Amino acid sequence: MEVNKTDIRDAFFDEIYEIGKADRNMLFLTDDMDAFGLRKFVRDFPVQFINIGVAEQNQVNVATGLTLCGKKVFIFGICSFMTMRCFEQIKFNICGMNLPVVVVGVGAGFSFDSDGPALHGTQDIAIMRSLPEMTIYNPPDAMSASAVARLAYEKDGPSYIRLDKGVYPVIYENKHELQNGFKVVRSVQAVNIISTGYMTSVAIRLVEELEKQGVNVGLLDLMRLKPVDPLFYKTIENTESLITIEENSLIGGLGSIVGELLIDNDSDIKLKRIGSQDRQFIVYGTRDWLQYLNELTLSDLQNTILNWLRRGN
Amino acid sequence: MIKLILNRRFDMDNKELIKKAAWVRMEVLESVVSGKKGHIGGTYSCVDLLVGLYYGKILRFNSRNPQWEDRDRFILSKGHASLALFAIFKDMGIISPELYGTYGKNGGLGAQVDISLPGIETNTGSLGHSVGIAAGMALAAKMDSKDYCAYTLIGDAELFEGSVWEALMFGSQHKLNNLVVIIDRNRLSATEVIDDDNSVFMNFGKKLELFGWNYLELDGHNMDNILAVMRVVKSSDKPSIVMANTIKGKGVSFMENKANWHHGVPTEEQIKIAREELRVQWK
Repeated sequence: MEVNKTDIRDAFFDEIYEIGKADRNMLFLTDDMDAFGLRKFVRDFPVQFINIGVAEQNQVNVATGLTLCGKKVFIFGICSFMTMRCFEQIKFNICGMNLPVVVVGVGAGFSFDSDGPALHGTQDIAIMRSLPEMTIYNPPDAMSASAVARLAYEKDGPSYIRLDKGVYPVIYENKHELQNGFKVVRSVQAVNIISTGYMTSVAIRLVEELEKQGVNVGLLDLMRLKPVDPLFYKTIENTESLITIEENSLIGGLGSIVGELLIDNDSDIKLKRIGSQDRQFIVYGTRDWLQYLNELTLSDLQNTILNWLRRGN
Repeated sequence: MIKLILNRRFDMDNKELIKKAAWVRMEVLESVVSGKKGHIGGTYSCVDLLVGLYYGKILRFNSRNPQWEDRDRFILSKGHASLALFAIFKDMGIISPELYGTYGKNGGLGAQVDISLPGIETNTGSLGHSVGIAAGMALAAKMDSKDYCAYTLIGDAELFEGSVWEALMFGSQHKLNNLVVIIDRNRLSATEVIDDDNSVFMNFGKKLELFGWNYLELDGHNMDNILAVMRVVKSSDKPSIVMANTIKGKGVSFMENKANWHHGVPTEEQIKIAREELRVQWK
């Protein structure tokens, strides 16, 4: 597989196909959400595919009943609906009974840009990470998107996978690199950027731009947002400054995760959180434009970071 | 061997079932008194149904092996009626008398049920989930070519949850004739009367038939009627919904049809009256 030419969703669904082919007890449920990569699965394994219809609460409840009777169930839809429309069912049924249901949400961040605010995934991480049993994967590239399908399938408990769309540079080169749920993409420096999902592809360019201006920064991708591997903190504990960048709301996302980690470890590392503002964006436009509104464009990120570093943080 | 045990202990005629229901009500009363809490009104409305299901050979289960894979799945969706189920489970040896005695104590049996207990299929406490969960169970049975049924007993006020209607549509769409929904129609929610002029219940039978369901009604306090209807439920080629007309607080005169007995603990004087009334039914 040419991972650097494969859409992140296709990589994921190719692995779903292999899982379903080998395990006829595995079922894939959707709330009427289509995906190009899913069509082969629907064609070849129609008995294992159920379109519940636009009814996310029922989707989770039916998945609960199927799982309690021995099925391995994936449920799929747009991440804002899959996590919020049926949050209580996920909390009470799936997590309350620690069931191995895999929640898959597409439309992470502003990836469904012009489709409007209902489809933007900027708060899903915050609410899903409030669930003790939930493992959260936010893959930045095709390899990791493929691998997390298998990791979630093999977990004896609930998982949430959030998917972006499109083709992204290779971050993870092999499955071995995924075992700790994070990767040092550019070697750790005194100042480091931490990113997740789509934003890691932006962060690679950002690091290059900062280098051109004489500022050397490290880069880490945090792919598994919960639980964060203890090795992650060990990797950053001797640094001076951290900058988190994300499309999620600043409330409860990556910045919160890293901030809580520093507080819980009594760390004096400085932290700058960059993400979507704590307000609703009831507007329509491209991803670039939505990032512009949130001061998340490449030049915004550069300016924010350079200003913060100049102030001696 | 299992069958013999079941026959010995639970093969009862309807008179015995009626007495058993009175015994369950007494047990519930004593639990509420000793635990100083409990949803007694909504428990009493479904006691006869539960006794019919468990002792009247409607549910297929093995009390010595509650996890038997071919058992019927039963969800007490109105889990706040847990006290009746605990009494039945104690009587059948599914839970121990020691565990039964922990009701109301910290860490003991509580206001709802959860899967840490034998014989319980899903955690309860959040209304509107069980029809979809039971539909998933019924679908799993079909996929695995198993002949078990999935039952759920819901409160009538639970029908205000939209997710119930999502599941009703799903059940008929997938022709789940091994799915049975029983409604405890005691006409009282936690705070008010819900009569047939409420839009949820207007033309309810017709509405459900148009939804593709097999609709039946029964008197939820008439054991002959409960058993007769529940025995024919499974013969439909559609999922079945059973409207069980009941009385909240049934069995104790001053509790009957009173919304304020949704939960509460009787006074010393009320306890005496309740004990006496239930004793008469039991003898």
